Amino acid sequence: MIEHVLKKLKREAREVRKTILKMIISAHASHIASSYSIVELLVYLYEKTLRINPRKPLDPNRDRFILSKGWGISTLYTILAKKGFFEKKLLNTYCQDGSKMIGIATRNGIPGIEATTGSMGHGLAIGVGMAMAAKMQKRDYRVFVLISDGECDEGSTWEAILQAGHYKLDNLIVIVDYNKWQSFGRVADVLDLEPFVKKWEAFKWSAKEIDGHSFEEISQIFSKLPFEKGKPSIVIAHTIKGKGVSVLEDRNEWHYKTPTEKEIKIAKSELGL
Amino acid sequence: MRTAFLNTLVDLMRVNEDILSLTADMGFSVFEDVEKEFPERFLNTGVTEQSTISIATGLALCGYKVFFYAQAPFATMRCFEQIRLDVAYNHVNVKIIGTASGFSSNQLGVSHFALEDVGLMRLLPDMTIFTPGDPLESAWATKAAYEINGPVYIRITKAGSPVIHKTQQLSHPEAGIIIKNGGRFTLFVSGSLLPMALDIIEVLSKKNVDGTLISLPVIKPINKKIILEAARKTGYIFTLEEHNIIGGLGSAVAEIIAESGMQVKFYRFGAPDKFTSVTGSVQYLLEYNGLSTQQISETILKSLRGIK
Repeated sequence: MIEHVLKKLKREAREVRKTILKMIISAHASHIASSYSIVELLVYLYEKTLRINPRKPLDPNRDRFILSKGWGISTLYTILAKKGFFEKKLLNTYCQDGSKMIGIATRNGIPGIEATTGSMGHGLAIGVGMAMAAKMQKRDYRVFVLISDGECDEGSTWEAILQAGHYKLDNLIVIVDYNKWQSFGRVADVLDLEPFVKKWEAFKWSAKEIDGHSFEEISQIFSKLPFEKGKPSIVIAHTIKGKGVSVLEDRNEWHYKTPTEKEIKIAKSELGL
Repeated sequence: MRTAFLNTLVDLMRVNEDILSLTADMGFSVFEDVEKEFPERFLNTGVTEQSTISIATGLALCGYKVFFYAQAPFATMRCFEQIRLDVAYNHVNVKIIGTASGFSSNQLGVSHFALEDVGLMRLLPDMTIFTPGDPLESAWATKAAYEINGPVYIRITKAGSPVIHKTQQLSHPEAGIIIKNGGRFTLFVSGSLLPMALDIIEVLSKKNVDGTLISLPVIKPINKKIILEAARKTGYIFTLEEHNIIGGLGSAVAEIIAESGMQVKFYRFGAPDKFTSVTGSVQYLLEYNGLSTQQISETILKSLRGIK
């Protein structure tokens, strides 16, 4: 990757984290760590990969992006606002009384939000339906779905994985935010997903693993889609929950808690706010 | 009833290319012709009610009108949360067909009985609910489901229900269909027990107790007007359905009457609020639950006399 492009992406990721921090503090909201683990992935997708036009958010030929882990929505709102899907000042209403900027991805008229998610195990199957529709309508748009690792406990997720493989949906690209934390503990302790890659491959998917915070690896992986003709693509993105601020990293409490003065001070200093 | 649904669906699919038929591996000896005629627009997605409802939503969000067919307990209860969040919240064109409702799968027990489905569907905002009572109502409901912009639940039974209505062209069935007029009481019926309701009316008529019989093939949105008019005219309202007495037609009618402030005598006939842990013919199971022409006629008579 060219140096100045990499620099720009990194700067963008830092800016996104700053905005998220402000939104979370102002709303006294949860899920900062869930939002931070997907920043690089979403920045890259929206900068470089997705064929979308903020002025035509309902273009039938647009690529679809579904944030199945809907609780990471502050990242998506921030990026959509930066891309011009809606006015940036709307971000100030995040989780405030009467706002449509709900704390879980909700398809309530906000441009760019394709599905209501956050109830686990929905997003991938909705994406399967959209990918099937593209095939039937002979349209060349692609469907990207970002799911959490915890979501892979859900039976409905595996139903959809089975279906996508069976229907050879090579216009479907799924990214797992594999930060290895789920609601009440480590994924490996609660309900182990390993051997994770082999599971997807056994369901007829083409799988690749990356560091979900490395723009070099992200760019490489999305440079050629699908990974294999006739198969859906799965990216197992190894991530760190709370990535970007030392005191928030890899600690599950920041799934729930709002940073206090102590963490805010450190976060501001580390993010340059 | 099921055949009427299927024939109507095939007719609709011939004309409207935006219809897809989805089934979660159900429809043996039902959907073969659909699959043959529309191989591109019929999808058997496997035994996956939950993801299939989400898939149907994805398809509908991309412009399709999706008819999803499964046995009523699995079409509504197994995937209720998907219906709520994906179908109902997004107000998409997913039409859920719950077949083998009530005690239709009579030999198979609780797992296959569907006595709670209407109650669940009624809880969802803007969900239209059709509970046809004969093949004509079933055909009408299928057509209406296609024309409605938004989610629909159609509750049907197996094949073999008799035709009750005398005219092929039902006049405004959404408002309720008055089948018999009589001054002593009104019996509202919705769904599979329509033939029984007619029997009850005839049995009582022979005893010089003439009642009004109204079929309500639409439970939601329910026609308030016809209920209040009947209450005003006859003062005695009974409801009959092959569903738990909680949540279905009886509840819907009760809510309207209770809020009207009218003095009305009211009684619900339906499956009592308990599980049925025996097997038998449909007729046996209905009777076991207090749902037979004789039992109901007697209760109506007693109730009318008691008030005198």
